Amino acid sequence: MFNLEKSIADWRRQMLAAGIKTPVPLEELESHLREDVAQQMKSGINAQRAFEEAIQQIGKADMLKKEFEKADGMKVALTLKQYRTIMVACLGVESLFWATCLLLKVGNLSEITAAQQVSGLAAVAVMILLAGVGLLGHGPFPVGLIRWATDLICISRGRLLALLWVCFFCYITEPAGFLFILPKFDRGPLWIMLPPAGILFGFIGGLEKAGMKKTAAAAA
Amino acid sequence: MYRVSMIRKELVAASAEPLILSLLSRSESYGYAIIQEVKARSNGKLQWTDGMLYPVLHRMEHRGLIKSRWGESETGRKRKYYSLKKDGKTAMVKHHEQWSLVHSVLAGLHGLEKAASTQAQTVVS
Repeated sequence: MFNLEKSIADWRRQMLAAGIKTPVPLEELESHLREDVAQQMKSGINAQRAFEEAIQQIGKADMLKKEFEKADGMKVALTLKQYRTIMVACLGVESLFWATCLLLKVGNLSEITAAQQVSGLAAVAVMILLAGVGLLGHGPFPVGLIRWATDLICISRGRLLALLWVCFFCYITEPAGFLFILPKFDRGPLWIMLPPAGILFGFIGGLEKAGMKKTAAAAA
Repeated sequence: MYRVSMIRKELVAASAEPLILSLLSRSESYGYAIIQEVKARSNGKLQWTDGMLYPVLHRMEHRGLIKSRWGESETGRKRKYYSLKKDGKTAMVKHHEQWSLVHSVLAGLHGLEKAASTQAQTVVS
């Protein structure tokens, strides 16, 4: 005797086994399936035939998975583009801030020598260079790290906002505090802070290009 | 999306987004209802494969053209409703302009062709 609920449960298991995720989109597909079955049964078709017709209309799990992966791929690409724009903006603000402070000898930098000033500006230049290498996707990062970082940062906009806050606090407000609070603040901390910042901006901003390059290399 | 024997699958695929946007511009709707409405409006000539509609809806949602919310059907079952966003409205207007342009060129050519064939028949007779 045909059991509709059992058949739907079996169909769900097959979908999950094929990689169709829950709740999105499996719950939506199930809702559609039930609706279609109900409508067909209203027009006089028996439950078994209605179910068979409905699952045929929905399509095979592997085809659906491919189509949803295409849709998810687009979502990640859009978020990585946004991160790229933000990292470029962070790099711009950071570079401008420190270059200005060094050139105008702001706060505790007021007594630095010309050599120290040049050294500080060199730290800013190294930051820009390292960021540039990463942003162009040339960073020597392994595929596993790229994938891990992409999954980590693309989960939600909350992660994006958290990253922005970290960048702003670590690289602008905290050092700005040091400029006016500590008795001495010269280019030493800049060499500790700015090049790693450049690597971070370049790595996150270049995830999209790095990912595409690794994929192309793997395909070749 | 490619179940139809009468209309080329490329055309079915290309028309999916403008059709969905136009339907959602009238009111909020859900997957099953969208498929049924397209089928009804095309007198059965445009039948979308049910499972393929949802990836299209998801892509459109990721692009910010539409948004979704979980609601309840009349029978209490969970159902996902979609509605148009501002960017979706803009995209819909662009689609309409483009499709209207193609339609007007085709209609114009068809009219010229018809006139030419009528003229040829008149000369022969």
